Amino acid sequence: MHLRLGLSAVLGALLVVAAPVAAYASVGVGVQAAPVQLAGAAHPGGTYALPPVYVVNTGTQPESVAIRIERISPGTGRTVPQAWIRVSGLPPPLGRGQSARIPLSLVVPSGARPGQYFSDVVVTGSAVLTAGGAHLGVAAATDLEFRIASGAVSAAWFTVPGWVLLAIVVVVVLAVAVVLMIRSGISIRVERATAGGAARNGGGRGP
Amino acid sequence: MGRKAPSQALSAAIIALAAVGAAGCGIKGAVPQNSGQAASVNLSLRTVPTIRSVTVSPASASFGNCEGGLASRNTQSTPGKLGFPNGHCFVGLLTPGFYPVTITNTGIASAIDVNGTSAYPSDGGVQWILCNRYGRGGPSCTHDGGRLPGKDQYLIENFSAAGEQSVGISGTPTCDPEFYASGHCWAVQGASQSEGIELIGPLVSTDTSTKWTMTITWTPVPTRG
Repeated sequence: MHLRLGLSAVLGALLVVAAPVAAYASVGVGVQAAPVQLAGAAHPGGTYALPPVYVVNTGTQPESVAIRIERISPGTGRTVPQAWIRVSGLPPPLGRGQSARIPLSLVVPSGARPGQYFSDVVVTGSAVLTAGGAHLGVAAATDLEFRIASGAVSAAWFTVPGWVLLAIVVVVVLAVAVVLMIRSGISIRVERATAGGAARNGGGRGP
Repeated sequence: MGRKAPSQALSAAIIALAAVGAAGCGIKGAVPQNSGQAASVNLSLRTVPTIRSVTVSPASASFGNCEGGLASRNTQSTPGKLGFPNGHCFVGLLTPGFYPVTITNTGIASAIDVNGTSAYPSDGGVQWILCNRYGRGGPSCTHDGGRLPGKDQYLIENFSAAGEQSVGISGTPTCDPEFYASGHCWAVQGASQSEGIELIGPLVSTDTSTKWTMTITWTPVPTRG
């Protein structure tokens, strides 16, 4: 009985030691729990800046993070096509506990159907492979929500450079000043004084 | 009624005056002696973290304890190499229970999903596609009536002290059944599960590579309610 127990214990210990586990470091990634939402409605044909997504490395290994749009959590609305979300500027590899904010933008095609849209922003970490063929990965998801209202985005019908606007303002101010001067009756008389004229005036005063 | 109106107005006026007086008293008490100088109090507040995150340890593991295959064709599994047809290998052990992969919910309470990828050969050739038993949750395995992977297919099952998930991990993130013990793969902050992984290889592999890689990913996901 004792022999059997001892053999089992040794066998168990050997199995634990022999099990091909390569490393005991950890991989981890986190994302903001608050959903990524667009303030106000979007319109077909428009481009909108979404709030940047907060990501953090919760593991012990340096992580490069990637973002994809995939509907994996329950929610209502149309699924957001991956191509509508642009990720501008992924951060450099994050060390342990390091975080970053990743800017996102929403590019709505002109033919987009109005309504509520829903998907998930999935942040994926890429751990360094240390041994073997099995990669154990991590990801974290948060909701992505926005609404598309009907009607194309209103394009600016009249756009002028800033310096043109400034010039127009200056001209208007000058014009108003001139009008006010004329109405007030104030006149400015410009006279040119010449040397000859002065001498004649002086000669006229003599007896 | 006609007498009541003036008395009501008087009452209202008295109440209003009293209120003003009381408010005035309050203001007087609040104003410091050296009025005219601003005073401030610094306050600080700590909140609970609102991050959804997961940690998996170990970072990497390799398959071992392989079994199955056909000795007569010299394609039988060896302890560290998968054999054909339908050899199977383990990360950890079913019996005695050894579950080397620990998944910990390090963020707020979330559902824990798991998914796998295709297996990629080192020569970049034909992949093994992930299949599910009887098509439950993904493409159906095509051998033995849907029970085992067919040509260029493979199956991954995870197991823990809670049991083995026999349908197989799918290619899209779905609820990790090993977290079912807490109900609907729901994990509160700090909850963890130790798991092992079993891989069942294809009936036949088109690609002749002897080194394959695949990724298994755990994802905390928001839930409703």
